[in-house]
Amino acid sequence: MNIRGNIHKVVNIRDLTESTYVLRMEKKGLKFVAGQNLNIGIAGDTERRDYSIYSAENDDYLEILVKEVKDGLVSKRLRKLKAGEELDVDGPFGFFTIKEESRQAGKFLFIASGSGIAPFHSFARSYQKLDFKLIHGIRHSNEAYEREHYPEGQYVSCVTGDNNGDFKGRVTEYLRLNPPDNNTLCYLCGNVNMIYDAFDILKEKGLPSENLFAEVYF
Amino acid sequence: MNMSDSERTRPVIERMGYTWTDNEEEADLLGILACSVRQKAIDKVYSRIHKWNKRKDRQNLLTFLTGCILPADKVKFMKLFDIVFPMSELKELPEMISQYGIVTPAGLQQTPETLVYHNEKLTELRQKTNELKLNEHIFDFWHINPEYTSHFEAFVPIQNGCDKFCSFCAVPYTRGREVSRPSKEILDEVQSLIDRNYKSITLLGQNVNSYGLDKNGNEIGFPELLRKIGEMGKKSGKEFWVYFTSPHPRDMTGEVIEVIAQYPNLAKQIHIPIQSGDDKVLIKMNRKYSVDDFRKIMKTIRTLLPEATVFTDIIVGFTGETDEHFENTRKIMDEFRFNMAYIAQYSVRPGSTSSRWEDDVPVHVKKQRFHTLTEDLMRVSFENNKKMIGRTYRVLVRGKERNQQFLAGLTEGKINVRIPSTDESLIGNIVNVKITTATEFSVAGEII
Repeated sequence: MNIRGNIHKVVNIRDLTESTYVLRMEKKGLKFVAGQNLNIGIAGDTERRDYSIYSAENDDYLEILVKEVKDGLVSKRLRKLKAGEELDVDGPFGFFTIKEESRQAGKFLFIASGSGIAPFHSFARSYQKLDFKLIHGIRHSNEAYEREHYPEGQYVSCVTGDNNGDFKGRVTEYLRLNPPDNNTLCYLCGNVNMIYDAFDILKEKGLPSENLFAEVYF
Repeated sequence: MNMSDSERTRPVIERMGYTWTDNEEEADLLGILACSVRQKAIDKVYSRIHKWNKRKDRQNLLTFLTGCILPADKVKFMKLFDIVFPMSELKELPEMISQYGIVTPAGLQQTPETLVYHNEKLTELRQKTNELKLNEHIFDFWHINPEYTSHFEAFVPIQNGCDKFCSFCAVPYTRGREVSRPSKEILDEVQSLIDRNYKSITLLGQNVNSYGLDKNGNEIGFPELLRKIGEMGKKSGKEFWVYFTSPHPRDMTGEVIEVIAQYPNLAKQIHIPIQSGDDKVLIKMNRKYSVDDFRKIMKTIRTLLPEATVFTDIIVGFTGETDEHFENTRKIMDEFRFNMAYIAQYSVRPGSTSSRWEDDVPVHVKKQRFHTLTEDLMRVSFENNKKMIGRTYRVLVRGKERNQQFLAGLTEGKINVRIPSTDESLIGNIVNVKITTATEFSVAGEII
């Protein structure tokens, strides 16, 4: 059966790169905790996908960050939607969130690859006083999606394909050179191989399991 | 869960005037309560409906499909079955059948205009069922009085749906969001079963220990539900065992284990699916716990419930699982000493997150891992069962074995017991059995 959720109309779509965009939709009172995701399809369609919420908890709209997947059934069709067209939205779901007590006192390291930055964008915009550093692994420096949204010095682009990033190389290479303290809460999101490698590095450095949180996108 | 669903399906159909038959060939109405957990189960549905549809040339036959159905399969099943609907809409089945139209040879004599009317109603019906939310009328479903198939064992649904979205799983897409049944209804049903001297009651839910969490404080939680049932058992003075399945480790709190320890009627048998013994595989599965977290739960169980048996579920051959990952799963079989593990070879579930990842573990490797882990399980289970020799256990006698010379039973911990007896009057009773021998998956003993 269709997991029929609620209808949210598209507000607009803004392109970030040739293949990545942010889709903004009506919020309609949907409450969520930063880090959670939505199960979204085009109204009337059976194909659905899960997307992390990109916007802040208190924004009066919802946003998701979408990278068009080659031969993708949903990502390509979402991009063609116009304002007013309807999405079928279910959620929010997921446990990739930051406990309230940790938000005040904790120190955070967010490690993302590609579109895996989405939940961290929501963390940063939802919790203004959060003590965090965000390491973003990308191929090209133009994929540093809306880096101006993060406080100065707290976003580091690790770029493999050109020399215009903050660090030339992979996220994991940066991590080896700049390991976090053992009491840092580390959140990883994106490519599974990056997550596995980063996980190994962090465990080698002595980070306890309870300080590691991961969400695999692809 | 399907068994519990079928206990509510049968009375709905019987109230329409149908009588049950064990002979498929003579049936006018045939239905399937599907399970989509593994592809094999759904393949059987395809095979069965093709067989049924061949009969339609020579006899009137109406077919329906309900239960857990993935969206991708549903599209295909809508063309094969006459009626497809979510289980939560079971109460509407009589209306669906009455609206369906052509079910008798007389119906075939209708004028083209009438046929168009029926076809329009059918299209409308299909559109309506296509748009139904999965849990829209689950409360109506729970209100159906079940027709228990056993007079001593019963299944009580307490929760439906799943919000966990483990990457390998289709259940969130077939059962919908987590919804808890009102506790009063659950307790009334359990009390009724206690009054009728049921010996084994299993609380059911896709995330049974998430009970109450969807109600945001407006309903009791799972530990409190168990406590109330424990108190009911204490007050009754009767001997019976209450189990629950399927729990998620995320919601398995120390409080749940403490409550189980306090009440004799809450069975000392814990089913807790781990799925893998490797942290990286667990991350990819989106289980949201580590092996360390699971270890803490097991420590609590072993400390507070030293006599409890522990059952688990494991998937081998999940996408990306390496030999190293699999060896870590083998290690936890020895570490946690499971009494039973339901081991499955990973199969892609359309619509699940992992269906978009390469199913890259070859079939022969999955098979090999399945056999290897099964051998590990057999060894551990045999060692566990041998420790039972010489001890006396309370055993629920459930029926006769196929060879008719033995009775079959289960201990409180759900260990299979073979009893050399032909006394059928013992079926449905709890008796003392002294264990004399053990095998990998069962023990045998004498009634004392």
